[in-house]
Amino acid sequence: MTTASIPRVRGLRRVLRAALGRSYPRIIGQNRERSWLFYDTVLPLLGTIAFVYVYKALGAPDRFIGYVIMGGATTAFWMNVMWNMAAQFYWDKQGGNLELYMVVPCGITPILLGMSLGGFVATVLRAVAIVLIGSLMFHVRFDISNLGVFLLVFGVAVVALYGLGVTFASLFLLWGREAWHMAELFMEPVFLASGFYFPVRALGFWAAMGTSLIPLTLALDAMRQLLFGAAHPALLPVWWEVAGLVFLAVLFIVLARFMLARMEYLARREGRLSLRF
Amino acid sequence: MATAVAVPQEGPLRRWWRVLRVSFWLGWQIETNWTDPLLFFIYSLAKPLGGVLILVFMYFVVARGGQGPMLGFFVVGTALWPFVLRGMMGIAWGLISDREHWKTLRYIYTSPIPYRGYLIGRALAQATSAVAPAVITLIFGRYVLGVPLHLANVNVQYAAVAMITGIAGIVALGLVVVSAAMLISGEAWRMPEGVGAGLYLVSGAIFPVTTLPGPLQTLSQVFPLTWWLEAMRRGLLGPLSVRSFAWAGDAQVLAYEVVVTAVWIIVATFIFGIAERRARQLGILDQESAY
Repeated sequence: MTTASIPRVRGLRRVLRAALGRSYPRIIGQNRERSWLFYDTVLPLLGTIAFVYVYKALGAPDRFIGYVIMGGATTAFWMNVMWNMAAQFYWDKQGGNLELYMVVPCGITPILLGMSLGGFVATVLRAVAIVLIGSLMFHVRFDISNLGVFLLVFGVAVVALYGLGVTFASLFLLWGREAWHMAELFMEPVFLASGFYFPVRALGFWAAMGTSLIPLTLALDAMRQLLFGAAHPALLPVWWEVAGLVFLAVLFIVLARFMLARMEYLARREGRLSLRF
Repeated sequence: MATAVAVPQEGPLRRWWRVLRVSFWLGWQIETNWTDPLLFFIYSLAKPLGGVLILVFMYFVVARGGQGPMLGFFVVGTALWPFVLRGMMGIAWGLISDREHWKTLRYIYTSPIPYRGYLIGRALAQATSAVAPAVITLIFGRYVLGVPLHLANVNVQYAAVAMITGIAGIVALGLVVVSAAMLISGEAWRMPEGVGAGLYLVSGAIFPVTTLPGPLQTLSQVFPLTWWLEAMRRGLLGPLSVRSFAWAGDAQVLAYEVVVTAVWIIVATFIFGIAERRARQLGILDQESAY
């Protein structure tokens, strides 16, 4: 009898292979399931359209409609981070996958990295669809002369955002039924604090600076400055906001690593890893 | 030799009442006992207050200060919308979570109770959890935002009739949604949310339906929620409210609400019966999707 030879990969290669392996079902699964594609695009779009009509009822200038459409697209990312990153371990507990993740040799970090990668690819398609459909429906024009800086802001914001998602995922690891409700709790209050549907400067300078701990606050403000020019009441100059986002990205990645190790230890000690209800 | 134990017979009304009461209690426990009362209270308030503040800031960035009747429109709409979210969507999630999550649907369904009564009890428990956020949002609107919610303006009887009819309409809509949820599996989790988002857009929750394009304005009148929200605004804000149906008097709006709700109750009863029968025929009533 011979034992089958198993390729032994270590270090970064193992992390990458595990991450790609975890991202695969996300990308393929989310795009194979047509109904998810429909719901993930149409649901944020319906909410977005409702807010567009609020501005229309108030007789607001057209750029506000652009604000709302951008906020709607950002909603797709926030929902992905909260429901498919932060609360994902809750679903995995229910499905019995969490125990499997815990015993695989790559560790939990590459699993989360793969979830982020897969979630991002699937969400970016939906966000683009929301912007395109919304812009066509309401004839919104965006100034894309600063496309390079726009993509830089977007890229750094995504890293910071998914870093925050991993940090939350480690917290949610301890929770049972609360996970669902806590994800719900982080919807409207975050939409408010980050100025999803209005310029965040309206909250007041210091309040907006406080809510800038959520990466989407700075990201949305910077992207709106780039797309709407001087008409947008900016919170900070764009490059300051880019620097802030880089800081948040580093902060959340470090915090995520620390929190994950700490919460995994606590969850194991308190026996919550397989506690379903 | 086994002997039969005499079971006291209950009338159908008493049985319905008992089922409603017990399922209400069960629904309340599921809804509230996942955390301590303080966190539950914060959780209940965060969503509607967050929602109303988003609208308030949207209003202020356009109006640049000052108060107007639209603030009252936002406050009442946002205060009442959790009843729809929790009542209508809650009834569907009651079925779906029993089927997929708790895996208790087959045991509940085969017990000698009217299943419809059980679902309605669960929905009413969810709707009850919207009372505190609604009241606090209205108080916030009155005292922080200066919305003219003065007791002198409030037509209590009118608002009470509108509210009771509105809850009946929400339950009727919930029965239609739950009927669809019985027949689908994978999409069932998302479907109630989709219906809720659609209704949020067309029923005048946060803007007058007159802002919508013509066909959507017509569509909005088909739903009891549109009439309920309009009637509640008239009942709570009096003549100062922004109106979706300026052509209709207060009594007319209430009459429309009652009629449209009655039609939906009849339709929902009929659709629920068909869906239940169909799900049993196909053997999918307790089918789990593993989503």
